[in-house]
Amino acid sequence: MNDQGVVSGLEAELTGILGNEHVMPCQSNLVIDGIHTQLCVEPATAQEVADVLRVANDRKLTVIPAGGFTHQGYGNVPPRADLVLRTTRLSGIVYYDAGDLTIGVRAGTRLADVQNAVAEHRQVFAVEAARASRATVGGALATASHGPRKHSTGGVREFCVGLEFVTGDGQIAKAGGRVVKNVAGYDLMKLLIGSHGTLGIITSANFRLMPAARQTATFMAEFRTIGEAVAFRERVVKSPLSPISLELISPFAEGVSGQSPKAWTVAIKAGGSDAVLARYRGELGEDLSRELRDANEAALWSSVVEFPATMLQLNQRAMLLDVHMPAASLEPALTEAEKAATAHGFIFSAVGRAAVASLTLALSPLPGDPPSVTQYVNALSAIRAACPADGAVIVRNCPSEVKKHIEPWGSAREVESMRRVKRTLDPNDVLNRGRFLP
Amino acid sequence: MSFDEVITQLQGLLGAQHVLHRPEDLMLYEYDASVDKGTPGAVVFPSTTEEVAALVRLAHRAEVSVVPRGAGTGLSGGSISRDRGIVIVFTRMNRILEVDVANRRAVVQPGVVNLDLSAAVARYGLYFAPDPSSQKACTIGGNVAENSGGPHTLAQGVTVNHVTGIEVVLGTGEIARFGGKCIDTCGYDVTGYFTGSEGTLGIVTEITVKLVRKAEAVATLLAIYNTVDEGANSVVEITAEGITPTALEMLDGLTLRTVEEATHAGYPMDSGAVLLVELEGLREEVEEQAALVRGVCMRNGAREVRRAKDETERALLWKGRKNAFAAIGRLAPSYYTQDGVVPRSKIPQTLRYIAEVSKKYGLTIANIFHAGDGNMHPAILFDLRDPDQLKRTVAAGADILAYCVSLGGSITGEHGVGMEKNALMPLLFNETDLDVMHRLHDAFNPGVLNPQKVFPTPRSCRETGSASLPPELRRRP
Ligand SMILES: Cc1cc2nc3c(=O)[nH]c(=O)nc-3n(C[C@H](O)[C@H](O)[C@H](O)COP(=O)(O)OP(=O)(O)OC[C@H]3O[C@@H](n4cnc5c(N)ncnc54)[C@H](O)[C@@H]3O)c2cc1C
Repeated sequence: MNDQGVVSGLEAELTGILGNEHVMPCQSNLVIDGIHTQLCVEPATAQEVADVLRVANDRKLTVIPAGGFTHQGYGNVPPRADLVLRTTRLSGIVYYDAGDLTIGVRAGTRLADVQNAVAEHRQVFAVEAARASRATVGGALATASHGPRKHSTGGVREFCVGLEFVTGDGQIAKAGGRVVKNVAGYDLMKLLIGSHGTLGIITSANFRLMPAARQTATFMAEFRTIGEAVAFRERVVKSPLSPISLELISPFAEGVSGQSPKAWTVAIKAGGSDAVLARYRGELGEDLSRELRDANEAALWSSVVEFPATMLQLNQRAMLLDVHMPAASLEPALTEAEKAATAHGFIFSAVGRAAVASLTLALSPLPGDPPSVTQYVNALSAIRAACPADGAVIVRNCPSEVKKHIEPWGSAREVESMRRVKRTLDPNDVLNRGRFLP
Repeated sequence: MSFDEVITQLQGLLGAQHVLHRPEDLMLYEYDASVDKGTPGAVVFPSTTEEVAALVRLAHRAEVSVVPRGAGTGLSGGSISRDRGIVIVFTRMNRILEVDVANRRAVVQPGVVNLDLSAAVARYGLYFAPDPSSQKACTIGGNVAENSGGPHTLAQGVTVNHVTGIEVVLGTGEIARFGGKCIDTCGYDVTGYFTGSEGTLGIVTEITVKLVRKAEAVATLLAIYNTVDEGANSVVEITAEGITPTALEMLDGLTLRTVEEATHAGYPMDSGAVLLVELEGLREEVEEQAALVRGVCMRNGAREVRRAKDETERALLWKGRKNAFAAIGRLAPSYYTQDGVVPRSKIPQTLRYIAEVSKKYGLTIANIFHAGDGNMHPAILFDLRDPDQLKRTVAAGADILAYCVSLGGSITGEHGVGMEKNALMPLLFNETDLDVMHRLHDAFNPGVLNPQKVFPTPRSCRETGSASLPPELRRRP
């Protein structure tokens, strides 16, 4: 059978499951590293997701799960992409128990919608990702997205309490539950979070919420060098203070609100009464250069969350890296990373969690002097060499032609165990084939 | 291979002094802290990861099971051998390998006792946050296996929130290392998946944990009520107020009287419930929250709210809570502790339901629990020698757990499923859910490791189970 025949037979089968209007040709903007997909499906229930995946599994097709299409820059160039499965119609809040500080939402729900719904009750949904008005809960889980709140709440693995998902061979499964403490059954949330759509399609998830602070203030301290900034971080970490966020912002982090182009800035967000905020001022002392409140404060933090998206918008050919490392390695690693980026013809910037040492690095080409593929490759390997093995340097975005020459994930350890997990949940390698592990 | 041959091989592997096999030596290992029992075929004490791996491989060859065991304080029969297998005990693997103050991590062997780690890092102003009430005895290996919590895990998070890396001997006998000092690594979060898997996926031989800084100020409050309802309503309101105490523990009238007789913690004998609230943080914050909590408790009918003036008073208030189960032991020959969880807003009605169950089955039930996260610990008092009482006790326990589930809760918050509640798993998970978990079980453990736990038994025969394993391991004991 020719390709056309495969597609039309498939289309008929999918239409049988979803109805005409939810099987469509893929929009031209849903392209991953130059790979176009023929068909796009939009199931509305976990059962429909399962039915679609069974068809794909039987035909050994590849399916690209997609939410808002805001974080599809990760991973290897897909060798094939038969279907895009969008979670758009799997949306809405399933339950919200404000008294218990828990919420359950369907995977296609936009982050901003959940954030706004709980804000009305002075609560916080601590899942953060760039483009929150488009990014979905399912996508944020799959990419283990995090923002400045990670400093105090930890990553989403620490507060996602239950999950429903569909395996590559079309089984609907759940793990965890609705309550905040639960050890019944295996914690499959941990496997699915950060699995980049390769183990299952998340259809809904339950979360613990945090109470919102009655008021907040953000204290800014600026330094000439990364060394001084990290020394200040240590002072904060060893003090009795426990801020909501503790963020490091490098020079040239464009788009970060009010950021001075020359300084390494540490931004500390604190919540509490006037007395508590006064205590922060006292403890942080003369190192503070500014204090942000209200609109200015909100603008800073939303621009911090948006940093990766902004850098990419400013230059489509920027290379963005997610880096994680033990806290003590931050200063030497960033110093070397900055040197490497500059040496290979990029402008370096970084924004991220100073104490947990999870940051996004941006390598932006100099205006008018586009770096060669080799320069990208060499900059990346120099940065990887500068970062400790206990951690990760993951490519979040880079030009497609560069991708073919790099390992976007770096070198995963224990690949055999990872493969065992993958084969178990997705035996025919239907989900995001080729995009994740080697 | 005959079992005598197995013993000979074990002795060859570890040295005869590290292998127990005489019936009188094995008796100690028939129990954990639950009501279950099972005699192992042998008990062994390895000293290295390689020895543990060799033990698992030997178990494969001999077709006997292996069961890892920490201190045996588990409350769901997790470390009991159900089929006369080999129990692996970690008393010789009890070293703290590294304390990395700069990164706030410690690397430990599984046999390290929970409280010993906190004691060892106290001089840096740090501690290991998960603090099960058994922390003087239980091991970090056991904590990881059960994903244990404790009174202070309400704010700080349970064990899985504090483990960033593990070395494991998989059920296949291979050695693997996941995570490290940084939890965010490339690939799947197998560290998180293994934590809480109750020794059914791998044997943890090394653990990297987070260390947490001690807070500047702490306030310990004791609210005294005439009725349990008033206490339970205070919990709901404290949560709704947006206050996250580090601990929020409740004892009902029966429990507090028993505890008072045993420990003289100062709980008034005629009260109906006490709520123990601990707040930690900045001095200013703690003072404000203490005032708020006091207000909530008084509004909900507290007779009195006391506050510990100093460390001695604080220790006394906690002594009552930490020794509560020991005290309950005085009330009846045996007690059976449940571990159900309900949404915090449903605690009052759950307590009322437990009272009904107590009447219905004619059994006394003492309530003591981690109120802040809705983790109920009703202790059903009974006499193990009376088979009818035992039957009613088990039925009453299952009845309470089914009620917890009906409210959107769980059958276990921290004690694990083990061999005690595996038959109740279908209350929470349907066949497909369990099948998917089964498949993931088989991917790492073809069957020799801690069999007949967690999943409802007997395990149904399935075709797909071990498809992802090498052929020589596609076998079920
Ligand atoms: C008085 C009392 C109070 C308690 N309070 C609490 C509490 O507040 N919170 C709480 O969560 N629990 C509590 N518990 C339960 C118990 O103490 C915990 O579950 C503890 O973590 C068990 O540790 P252990 O070393 O005794 O493990 P064990 O009981 O020996 O084993 C428990 C499980 O861990 C597995 N295991 C042990 N070591 C390893 C290893 N190295 N690798 C893989 N698997 C392993 C075993 O196979 C078994 O399944 C309490 C128990 C008692 C008796």
